[in-house]
Amino acid sequence: MSVCRPARCLFSKTPSLPKPTPLHHPRSFHTTLPRPARRRPHYPNIKASDLALLNAAAEESYPKYSTSETDLLRKKYTPSQIAAIKAAESAIDPRDLLTQGQRRTDPWQLSYEDDLAEVDPVTDHAPKLKPSDIKGPKDFREANMVERDEAIAQIANENLAKMYPNGVPEGQLSPEEHRKLEEAIEVAMAQAAMDPRTVYYSSNPKAVESLADPRHSVVLPDLPRIENRVARQTRRLSTEEEEDPRQKQLLKYLGWDKEKLRSIRVKTLIVHGVTNQTRMGKIRSLYYLTIAGNQDGLLGVGEGKSVEPEEGRKQSVMAAIRNMRPVPRYENRTIYGDLEKKVGATKVLLCSRPPGFGLRTQHLIFEMARAAGLQDLAARVPRSRNKMNVIKATWEALTSQKLPDEIARARGKKLVDVRKVYYGGSVY
Amino acid sequence: MSLVNLAHVCSHLQNASKARLGVTSIPVSKLHVRLMLGLQKEGFLSSVTLGGTTPPKPFILQKQPHPEELEKMADTLKEEPWNAYPVERQNPLGKEKVHVEHVPSNPARRRLWLGLKYWNNEPVLRNMKLISKPTRRIWLNSEDLGKITRSREAGFVKGLTHPGECMFVTTDRGILEARECVERRIGGMVLCRVW
Repeated sequence: MSVCRPARCLFSKTPSLPKPTPLHHPRSFHTTLPRPARRRPHYPNIKASDLALLNAAAEESYPKYSTSETDLLRKKYTPSQIAAIKAAESAIDPRDLLTQGQRRTDPWQLSYEDDLAEVDPVTDHAPKLKPSDIKGPKDFREANMVERDEAIAQIANENLAKMYPNGVPEGQLSPEEHRKLEEAIEVAMAQAAMDPRTVYYSSNPKAVESLADPRHSVVLPDLPRIENRVARQTRRLSTEEEEDPRQKQLLKYLGWDKEKLRSIRVKTLIVHGVTNQTRMGKIRSLYYLTIAGNQDGLLGVGEGKSVEPEEGRKQSVMAAIRNMRPVPRYENRTIYGDLEKKVGATKVLLCSRPPGFGLRTQHLIFEMARAAGLQDLAARVPRSRNKMNVIKATWEALTSQKLPDEIARARGKKLVDVRKVYYGGSVY
Repeated sequence: MSLVNLAHVCSHLQNASKARLGVTSIPVSKLHVRLMLGLQKEGFLSSVTLGGTTPPKPFILQKQPHPEELEKMADTLKEEPWNAYPVERQNPLGKEKVHVEHVPSNPARRRLWLGLKYWNNEPVLRNMKLISKPTRRIWLNSEDLGKITRSREAGFVKGLTHPGECMFVTTDRGILEARECVERRIGGMVLCRVW
């Protein structure tokens, strides 16, 4: 090796090799993504030039009314309506419409693009008439028998005419047609007898007419049934709802109704597969552990196991609701003092806490406390954290609390609750 | 004042109540006697009796007054209930039956017999734990005791957080419950907690 070679290497330049760019963080010490060098604003800046473009776009998509259009409008609307339309349009900036406006695409959208010529029973108020709209005198009295019969006859005739717009069939009738006609007459008579026009008599026929006019009624007319594909598919009939025999049995056992059962908070906390080894082979099934609570001092834990997943889950839910036991709560928010419970190798320590502390516990105990309606609780699970045992230990601890009254009774002491004495008894 | 013996007593009482014993015995010492009387005052024990190696005669087997006398006593009490607390030398209820328990003259053979209590099939005294240890005794003043009775930690002693928990303190006024110490503003060496 010659001596000058290293010198040449030292002094020569290698323009082909790129220099390594200096990195701020050559090696990442954590898994979170590094922040970009320059912080981007949360919203794009709008420059004055862009604003001009926006103005132009808004002008294009939401143009102002031209003179010909205003003329057309004037033909259809009164000047006051046109003024209202203009005021409404000027209240909304077209640029806002362009940047923030969105068109609804959901099936329940209201048809906003409307010329407001028709009364929509869903969006609009039903048309109303005032007493002043009735022309002539508004005197009335209770109709006597003769007047009532006359009115009934007239209204029944009107109703019949509505049922047979082509005239009541006459002459020889087949028995089927005869029966139909008689039915129609009966219906018409019944409707007429129920009509308020037959009860009252007025010298002004307009006043009598107003009795049957729905626009004068205080009762709002029924909303129309929405008929589209989505509404048809989402509609449920009471007959379609299947009756679960297990649920029925449970309701009978508890003496509850379905409404009360629906108010129970149920949550499946543990699901895992288990296998039974037989000489024929392995039988796989699923194990479920569910808690149930009414969030007002009742808590239950239930287990279920089945080859069918849904069956096992249902079993556990029913067992949890059936196993609900009362949880004594201090001031309806926390427990009475500290609790300890050991199940297997799992030990659970539950501590009562002051108001506003919250549920600072691990997730399983948190769910149970929520279902039971506890609001302030701290917990530790110092030993094994087997999920099933944690739940069982917590449940046992919460339901087997010793109350101060009972402790005092056991020790032969007298206990007085002074919470009702302080602050005029307003503290619980 | 051996805390080692007290530790033995604590675990013995826990074991005895777990085994649902009615009566149990512990070695006699002034500390034990005062502490057990404190426990009885707090309602953890039904009876504290000095005796020998055999348990003392239970109350039902002791000599009882005649039924007629009992009836007379009840009538007197009904008329004049203040006679339940007789004044010196005048007892209209008749002479009180006192059961004398034999105590061995040899102090080594004496035992302290304790009656344990149960309520609703549950022992009243379930846990009894030493706070001061033979190797590390803890003295607390009344401020610290006040914090502890309000379920806060003070002087490296955990607060009384269990429902109905009691703590016994040995002071120059005898063995007292922690709450009584706070009331009388005296501190002392904490012995044990019971719940």
